[in-house]
Amino acid sequence: METDYTLIGGGVVGLSVAWGLLKRGRTVTVLDGDDGSFRASRGNFGLVWVQSKGMNQPRYAQWSQGSAALWADFAAELGDATGQSVPLEQNGGYDLHFSEESLQETVDKYNVLKEKLGGDYPFEVLGHNALRKEEPHIGPKVVGAILHHQDGHANPLQLLRALAADVRRLGGRVLTGKTVSRVSKPDSFRVTCEDGTTVTSAKVVLAAGLGAATLGPSMGFKAPIRPQRGQVLITEKLPKLINRPSLIARQVDEGGIQIGATNEEVGLDDRVTQPGLSGLAADAIAAYPALAKAQLVRSWGALRVLSPDGLPIYQHSATMPGAYLVTCHSGITLAAAHARLLPDWLEGTEAAPDLEVFSEQRFAVS
Amino acid sequence: MTRVDLAIIGAGPAGMAAAALAARQGLRVTLLDEQPRAGGQIYRDVDRAAALRGDLLGPDYTHGATLTAALKHSGVDHVSGAVVWAIEEGFALSYTKDGRGAQVMADRVLLATGAIERPMPLPGWTLPGVMTAGAGQILLKQSGVLARRAVLVGTGPLLYLTAAQMLRAGTPPLALVETATRSDLLGAMRHLGGALRGWRYLLKGLGLLAELKRGGVKRHVGATGLAIEGLARAEALSFSAGGKSHRIACDTVYLHHGVVPNVQAARSLGIAHDWNAAQACFLPRLDIWGQSDVPGIYVAGDSAGIGGAKVAEEAGRLAALHVAQAAGRITQTELDRQAAPLRATLARERAVRPFLDRAYPPCPEALAPADATLICRCEEVTAGDIRNYASLGCVGPNQAKAFGRAGMGPCQGRYCGLTVTALLAEANGQTPDATGYYRVRAPLKPVTLGELAQMDQTAQDAAE
Repeated sequence: METDYTLIGGGVVGLSVAWGLLKRGRTVTVLDGDDGSFRASRGNFGLVWVQSKGMNQPRYAQWSQGSAALWADFAAELGDATGQSVPLEQNGGYDLHFSEESLQETVDKYNVLKEKLGGDYPFEVLGHNALRKEEPHIGPKVVGAILHHQDGHANPLQLLRALAADVRRLGGRVLTGKTVSRVSKPDSFRVTCEDGTTVTSAKVVLAAGLGAATLGPSMGFKAPIRPQRGQVLITEKLPKLINRPSLIARQVDEGGIQIGATNEEVGLDDRVTQPGLSGLAADAIAAYPALAKAQLVRSWGALRVLSPDGLPIYQHSATMPGAYLVTCHSGITLAAAHARLLPDWLEGTEAAPDLEVFSEQRFAVS
Repeated sequence: MTRVDLAIIGAGPAGMAAAALAARQGLRVTLLDEQPRAGGQIYRDVDRAAALRGDLLGPDYTHGATLTAALKHSGVDHVSGAVVWAIEEGFALSYTKDGRGAQVMADRVLLATGAIERPMPLPGWTLPGVMTAGAGQILLKQSGVLARRAVLVGTGPLLYLTAAQMLRAGTPPLALVETATRSDLLGAMRHLGGALRGWRYLLKGLGLLAELKRGGVKRHVGATGLAIEGLARAEALSFSAGGKSHRIACDTVYLHHGVVPNVQAARSLGIAHDWNAAQACFLPRLDIWGQSDVPGIYVAGDSAGIGGAKVAEEAGRLAALHVAQAAGRITQTELDRQAAPLRATLARERAVRPFLDRAYPPCPEALAPADATLICRCEEVTAGDIRNYASLGCVGPNQAKAFGRAGMGPCQGRYCGLTVTALLAEANGQTPDATGYYRVRAPLKPVTLGELAQMDQTAQDAAE
């Protein structure tokens, strides 16, 4: 047995878990894909986000809040260790609205959730004028916004790089260019890759994003996840134009304005389309009219890793004890929780977080 | 929305020749080109400049006027000033012109996007006062501007030509500093045997060199240890040659070590490419008609592999003929009949390539730059950064891009793409083919959000 754990997946989810395990003195092997793999870690929007999550499952809202609260410390530790900061801002974020009705409807839902959370859901409603004081470039079509104080945004690529560097620094073994073809458990786990590489370990964590859908069933998981395409735009670097992020746009630490994102059920197709890009550009200009003059320098499509209800899945295999499925849509937001809290769950300690609502039980056919 | 039989991107020799021929076969053709006038890089502004500066620029340049004339009388819809920023299946070509977004639909597309100069990342290459020899050519052709106190650095015929033109214009360069060695040229000689045309190129090159010698232009060969010195701008070029160190004070440095296909459009369509060791670049995988593995997408001219203007012209015609046959305008027999003489010319013209590739190899120091040298000038990423990303598990350029932003800037990776692939291939001990290339996406050229959004509006209006 070569290491305590094998992490199948070297994206932000797999590396966050690997980093957390290494910090506890566990040995890990991370199997990462190739340059062209579908990588949500490379294409995501970079929000560390709380609002709108878990509207029907308060535990998910809590889990996101918990991770957001751990994020600054997590980022600082990674930054210190690697000598490269992981830019993070947690000064709140907006849900922008173009009609009074949609704003009110959302506020009503937030109030219901807030009550379920015992009042820990710090948001306020800004009318157009109040919003304009905070965001001078906001357009006249925006009637108002919900400002949620637990929201923020990070540089997800710097996070990915810092994790890649620090997992190695901590002694993690990372094998790149690997596609796992088979997982078996004669006594300990044997994970076999398409190129013939085989690694052995006491436990296995399947954190392969969309790859879990194909690998999962052979390991005793339902893994009912599907891709959902999000197209994203980014402009040339601009002077400060946007203070706080929203789901429509955010100004990244390098200066570009990132604009997102479509929600498209198109299977494993991560291309961008003119209608997709044009629609996003139109929405962004409606929110911030000054953007009309901005040059688009890049766009991309990335595939979200979605479960049927949008919540993460944390599941211990019944048929292959020691195998765990970890998958979620919000790998950036949850990175801190995955690094700091999930190892207790994998190790089965008393401090393990209660993740029962995130098990695959909820997908049982009734 | 307009729907045509053939859309062509690029009005250089390949695009112009293909457009004129396809139109003559009765096809509806739209030719999209970024420049205000047809000609491409090689025949840039030929209709105006040939009359003004034809003597200076030479007969190879003025030949372009025959292509622009044929284009003018062909009935092709030539959209000048059109910047194509996306090509999608179907095929839908999105472009901007005069600040407005537009789209044309085409059954088939010919990419004739030409070449770009191979970037030459040397210490100091991003200083003001340093430009490519090609940029110097643009200034000369379009504006009649030539730099004073200039040094030409690199390899290849364009360097000789630029030097000769400067000499003729009365502003000779301070020196011609070649990175190719005499043995490169000698080694190339054995490729001349089967290539009669090679002699023409060789003599032309020798003629230019003789002209430079008569004009008193100092020439160094086999230069190594190249660095451009200067704080705020280029002040000198230092290098070693002939066992001695040299330092030439100057105001301008022209860099050039060959051209490579501009593959951005082809890459954005997911066309398969293969590494070509002789030309040290990727080439799109094409059949004998120039059709790619994406049916209906053709590539011709230098964007299919560096062959020069004459090759581009005939390859463009060949692709146009095949499109005409595929569209049912000519029979297979007619296609083969018309293609035969084009193929003969192509074979003749291509025969000289091995000689040129061998005689003027790219500068090794610029293919594998030292750690401290910037390789992505948009995002200021060094060669050492890329090697570091390899050690962090980046097996290909897309992961390296995510790690360090190389290729994320306004040039869309045009300038660093080949260097990043080469550096990763070397660091990981893999071939360039296994290492791969940037995933190129829209926008192929920057476009404003306003132009994009206005196309959204157009679509809405059309639906109403």
